[in-house]
Amino acid sequence: KSFSQTVTLKGKRLALYDVFNNISKQTGYEFVYDEKLLQGSGPVNMNVSNAPLTDVLDKCLKGKPLEYAIVNKIIVISPKPAPETVLQTAPIKGTVTGADGKPLFNISIQVKGTTRGAITNEQGGFSIQAGPKDVLVFSSIGYETKEITVGSNTSLSVVLSASNTQLTGVMVTALGIKRSEKAITYAMQQISGGELTKAKDPNLINTLNGKVAGLSISPSASGVGGSAKVVLRGSKSGIGSNQALYVIDGVPMNNSLTNQPTSVYGGSNAYDGGDPISNMNPEDIESISVLKGASAAALYGSQGANGVIMITTKSGKSGKVQINFSSGVNLAQAAYKPEFQNNYGPANAASPQSWGAKLNSPAANNMSSFFQTGQTYTNSISLSAGTEQLQTYFSFANTAATGIEPGNKLGRNNINFKETGHFLNNKLTVEADVNYVTQKIDNTPLSGFYLNPLTGLYLFPRGQDIRPFKDQFAIPDPSRNFLPVQNWTYLEDIQQNPWWITNRNPNSLNRNRLLLNANVKYEINSWLSVQARGSIDRINDVYEQKMYAGTYKVLSPANGVYNYNNATTTQQYGDLLLNFNVPINKDFRLTGLVGGALRDLKTSGVKFNSAQDGLKIANVFVIQNFNTLNPLNSGTLPENHGQYQSLFGSANLSFKEMAYLDFTARNDWASNLSYTPSNNYFYPSVGLNLILSQMMEMPKAISFLKVRGSYAEVGSSPDPYKSHPADNIFGVGSASANVQTPFTDLRPEKTKSLEFGMEWRFFDNRLTADVTYYKTNSHNQTLSIEAPWASGNQTFYFNAGNIQNKGIEAVFRYDVFRGGKFQWNTGINYSVNDNRIVELAETNPEFVLSGASGANFVSKFKVGGSFGDIYGTVLQRDEQGRIKIDDKGSPIKQGGDFVYLGNANPKWQLGWNNNLSYGDFTLSFLIDGKFGGQVMSVTQSVMDQYGVSKATGDARDAGGVAVNGVGPDQKAVTSVDPQKWYSTIGGREAVSGEYMYSATVVRLRELSLGYTVPVKNSWMKALRFSLTGRNLIYFYKKAPYDPEMTMSTANGLSGVDIFMPPATRNYGLTLNATF
Amino acid sequence: CTKNFELYNTDNTGIPNGMLEADFYNLSYLKTATMAIYNFSGGGDPNSFQLQQNLNADCFSGYMASATPFNGGRNNLSYFMMTGWNGETFKAGYLSVMGQLAKLRQSNIPKDFPAVWAVAQIVQVTAMSRVTDVYGPIPYSKAGTSKTSIEYDSQQDVYARFFKELDTANTTLRDFIASGKTLPFKFGDFDLVYNANFTKWLQFSNSLRLRLAMHVIKADPALAKAEAEKALDPAKGGVITSNDGNMTVRIPGAGYTNPLIFIAKNWNDIQINASLQCYLTGYKDPRLSKYMSKSTDAAIPTQYIGIRLGSVTSANAKSDYVGYSAINYTGDDAFTLNTPVQLMTAAEVYFLRAEAALNNFANAGGTVQTLYEQGINTSLDQWHAADANYINNSVNTPDKYIDPKNALNNIDTPTHITVKWVETATPAEKQERISTQKWLAMFPEGQEAWTEFRRTGYPKLFPVANNNSGGTISSTLQVRRLPFPQNEYNTNNAAVTKAIGLLSKPEDNGGTPLWWDKR
Repeated sequence: KSFSQTVTLKGKRLALYDVFNNISKQTGYEFVYDEKLLQGSGPVNMNVSNAPLTDVLDKCLKGKPLEYAIVNKIIVISPKPAPETVLQTAPIKGTVTGADGKPLFNISIQVKGTTRGAITNEQGGFSIQAGPKDVLVFSSIGYETKEITVGSNTSLSVVLSASNTQLTGVMVTALGIKRSEKAITYAMQQISGGELTKAKDPNLINTLNGKVAGLSISPSASGVGGSAKVVLRGSKSGIGSNQALYVIDGVPMNNSLTNQPTSVYGGSNAYDGGDPISNMNPEDIESISVLKGASAAALYGSQGANGVIMITTKSGKSGKVQINFSSGVNLAQAAYKPEFQNNYGPANAASPQSWGAKLNSPAANNMSSFFQTGQTYTNSISLSAGTEQLQTYFSFANTAATGIEPGNKLGRNNINFKETGHFLNNKLTVEADVNYVTQKIDNTPLSGFYLNPLTGLYLFPRGQDIRPFKDQFAIPDPSRNFLPVQNWTYLEDIQQNPWWITNRNPNSLNRNRLLLNANVKYEINSWLSVQARGSIDRINDVYEQKMYAGTYKVLSPANGVYNYNNATTTQQYGDLLLNFNVPINKDFRLTGLVGGALRDLKTSGVKFNSAQDGLKIANVFVIQNFNTLNPLNSGTLPENHGQYQSLFGSANLSFKEMAYLDFTARNDWASNLSYTPSNNYFYPSVGLNLILSQMMEMPKAISFLKVRGSYAEVGSSPDPYKSHPADNIFGVGSASANVQTPFTDLRPEKTKSLEFGMEWRFFDNRLTADVTYYKTNSHNQTLSIEAPWASGNQTFYFNAGNIQNKGIEAVFRYDVFRGGKFQWNTGINYSVNDNRIVELAETNPEFVLSGASGANFVSKFKVGGSFGDIYGTVLQRDEQGRIKIDDKGSPIKQGGDFVYLGNANPKWQLGWNNNLSYGDFTLSFLIDGKFGGQVMSVTQSVMDQYGVSKATGDARDAGGVAVNGVGPDQKAVTSVDPQKWYSTIGGREAVSGEYMYSATVVRLRELSLGYTVPVKNSWMKALRFSLTGRNLIYFYKKAPYDPEMTMSTANGLSGVDIFMPPATRNYGLTLNATF
Repeated sequence: CTKNFELYNTDNTGIPNGMLEADFYNLSYLKTATMAIYNFSGGGDPNSFQLQQNLNADCFSGYMASATPFNGGRNNLSYFMMTGWNGETFKAGYLSVMGQLAKLRQSNIPKDFPAVWAVAQIVQVTAMSRVTDVYGPIPYSKAGTSKTSIEYDSQQDVYARFFKELDTANTTLRDFIASGKTLPFKFGDFDLVYNANFTKWLQFSNSLRLRLAMHVIKADPALAKAEAEKALDPAKGGVITSNDGNMTVRIPGAGYTNPLIFIAKNWNDIQINASLQCYLTGYKDPRLSKYMSKSTDAAIPTQYIGIRLGSVTSANAKSDYVGYSAINYTGDDAFTLNTPVQLMTAAEVYFLRAEAALNNFANAGGTVQTLYEQGINTSLDQWHAADANYINNSVNTPDKYIDPKNALNNIDTPTHITVKWVETATPAEKQERISTQKWLAMFPEGQEAWTEFRRTGYPKLFPVANNNSGGTISSTLQVRRLPFPQNEYNTNNAAVTKAIGLLSKPEDNGGTPLWWDKR
């Protein structure tokens, strides 16, 4: 291999160390070596000018017991194999591939116990001198280390499985900058792409669940293609976003939330069309790094305050054309169903409730006629090819899925084309990437009371047969000239015929997304390079909801409803970076960057909703058919235009690769802050880390020890228009004064974060531990407060408060068996977070996030409380704690203010990940648990009121609800009539305190069994099958639903189940083939 | 470069203040306010009106009841006062009326066109008098002065201010009419009530003054007399005397509907109250078929049948009572989604004058009997139900109530009052006769009907079938007011706490009488 990079070096008796530094300075190549190797290696004389790098290296290592290898601009200096060893060994050749059959490049191979080593080439090939008794150690970033005894083999085919835990070596950090792991002063965890494709989920982010300490993922209850709530180290913002920022190849992604339900009703505008991260093809992802704290994110500023999830996508590789094909099928079933009573029917045929006489024969199961087996088919193909100068990556993926509710479908196509070119003696690198995604989601299940098929299904009177309503969900109405209208006996706002909803209240979301990235990098000289990046992310969403004539009156006028929404959100991003890397002297090196970025986010579009104004002709769903265009429901969408301009810089000073000091600083200018006293804000960070194992002598067991600490501030800007809301808004043919006050003294929220961590590696890296303590305080919360109406305003805003999150994250990894045919490594990640609302404004020590209307609970924000606190109603009790029963025999609700019932957030989380392999077989499983916290089930309280739940049947069987109660006469009451009991405590406005459940849940989240078919022919390189399962077993679950699921991925409605579809249990089969 | 930041941070779907000046479009504020008195400014969805008036005053007045078992039957209609429901009257009054008119006041309109501003003042008094008559003390003189804390005025002070504001409006309007000037723009485009007829506005303002004066007759008889006589003084411009002067708010077209009819027809969430039905059927009132339709429930014979308040409990499904009589949106002279919202009629004014004559106020313009009979006949005319014999009927009395589905709700008639005027009757009986007929004439406007029921005790209404107030509201006296909104406790706590002290007793519940409520 020849490099055109040239070196000029003159001098006598130069220390090798200085020579290397000099070369590094001239070429930008970095040296990696053990300093002990250079001791006693002797000086060299050099006299070269414009000589090729390899010649220079050959020259300076000539006659020394050292050799070199060049990989990706890194020069690895290793000891030369001792001549006597060479004599005793024969060259062993072979190839190394990944579990997916792809050849692995840059895998280090070492003869155990010696300093001999080699590195695989781009085809995965290697050659090394080793004897039959030698043990070869194969290791690399992102893969499990494997040891193989040479034996009689002269040729080896080695398969490395991807490692599930923290990678070692190079990490991708903010702005896409690669840094050595040793240099990082804050907590981050890296996940390989293989981990995302092992047991796939339609939203790839769900596959991170349980794998990263401090990361909490709550999948939404909105079926296939739904979004997920992804929170790092606890929620920080009262009304702002708490979601982590996604960054793809250094460019922040617009992950603006889709519509989320904001009230217990849910309803047609509360559809969830999936967040932008869910659109990605998991096969395109090389790796994911999770930057947990504000320190890590300080360079991203505004958006990064909630932590960052960095995604690096695959690029083409030079060498032979490689085609990878992957195909999978995945089946999903409801993981649990509500428990029903089977013994009591309704009082009469028209009664919607099941409080009647005992049935002659037990009621049948009506669930099976509704729920179906969800199916997901994913097929993807990728191609990678290239020369030294040009590399190409192309991929296509198709996902077709159906959910467990009939009619819920997802169809997605991803096309990705990436081209990388190196020009001008490799000084100029140009990269362009085009992604196009089309996605259609039909019938997103809507949680809540309205337009939800599950209410009618669950509340259906026991003992009645639901099938006639399935077979004939519509019946002709003679008064409407036999127009088919809904067939349901129990029409109420909260319930309709389930099949009417799935067939005649359909919704669909069509997404077209174009994501373009371009990146130009030029190396000005050995220590300075300049890079420019640009990206356009354009997402077009067309949402339609139709309600046919015959839909329940309160939801739709007689002729139906048509709701059409067409929105295009465009994010444009550009940045310019100047990177420098300056060795100051023998011991100190300064690296860093200065740069500027601009991000511009804008929505355009229209919405049309006939709503209560109705349609002229029944069931014609076009805008022409609207009775009227009501500006309260239809019109131009607000642009929500925001532009953010930034200047930033970072400096990293390192001393002898054992101490690192980082500074970052960033200043943001945000258009959302215009009309306020200052439209910009500044925030710095500082971090220090010490590699103690290099600074002092450690016991032999400790192979590596690092301590780190950092402090950072991150500002985040508010939403658009807060400081300058419209003066007036449109009414129908009229204008009216806006009732929202401008927030003219608005300041950005500021999160201050402090963290300390330690990383330990023991026994030759066999056991690793990484422990972090953090504390973040988010100040200047933008709080939206209801105004006293007599002010003429409905809401106003102010900055106040301090929300604190502190906690510990720990990641442990242990290779139980390594080397040999049977291998097992195991990893544990643990995190505990304590969230506390330390202060709010003096005038408003509490406010309500969501709830209240239509249900008896609120999610409240109160000083001394924490994020996610649920308040509600309880039963009246006397001083002995006995429940008060009134003279009619019903329990008495406690009136007045709501009381604290619990907090939905888990106190701590634990994930246990295992990877086992035996020959060509691999097995991995992940068990995780979320412990602590309480959740509420409104589903249960409504089912109780209707007398359909198992609890109500059991109580009737037992002749009453056993209580510790007291009557008005002060006499003890031990039993209450079940109907009196449940119609008081149950229902929509329930005694919510009776419906709190432990949120603790422990599950077998992932199980995957793989087999690599040993193929030996020229056209197919690898073939692998795997069987996977997700969410297979709940080892512990007390709530009547999966407490991890969330109705809304925004801040409200967390920890409350209002007829959410059940979580699913998934089984999959995947085939991977490489050609 | 941040020079475009302010442009970016401007809502493209809003209307800057300056843009509204063209073509006097800032008079939209007046339009919005007028539509919010009986709130239909929310467009097609009448949710605000349902809570503003329909699920309280419309039902407490004896006009209506709902078949829907909201909250399992435990709600306002069975005297379980719903926290989430009882703020809307307050909210609409401030955000959609006073807040809007405050913006109009900042424009050049009050200075350039005082007569237009006088109309706005009348609209404000109309709307806010309804708010104070629901809660009692309200923020009025200090409204709009602060973002965080706004003091309440006692109801007495609020009324004093209303009268003053009507004085100003009266003078301005009379001056404008006398000047013979015309406006340089089409005010009719923004006037949904009298289509820019300022004389009619003047007469309405006097009628409104008369109404408010009669409200306070027991609390402050001298004030009532002075203000009533001022209202009736011919020199001040007179009151409404014929149905073409009725104060009704036009539904301005597509996108808006009469919210009451919407709720009745499209949601089936409101039916006719047993009290109204029993008076109408008992009197064989010619307005019966104009006001209500017959039952549509297959399980009972077709008949005029209302729902007794509080009958719908957790044991009921909506289907149990939804087939009882509804407001007439199907028969002759049916109410439609475009029927204008009626806030004051000539008939009401005649009855107010009859009561003024009964109290020997000057300028009532007739004897008690002639005014009483004129009131009835004006109402019958209004509803196309003229019947010369009706006023002479001395036999018919209200029916007792028989619930065909639940005998527990059956109840005997509360009164034997007849239609025909009896000059020799006691003052109380005379008052009952006037109030009963006024109540029959004011339908379907429940807000004023509930106020008059509370003030005079008439008509006699059936007590609630199930009282879930926990002892705070008497079934005999019935609901006297709504509790202050929860939002006031959350946002204006000190002021609302102080306001409780301004009530007749310091108890913020539905059983506490208002200042003028001294029967």
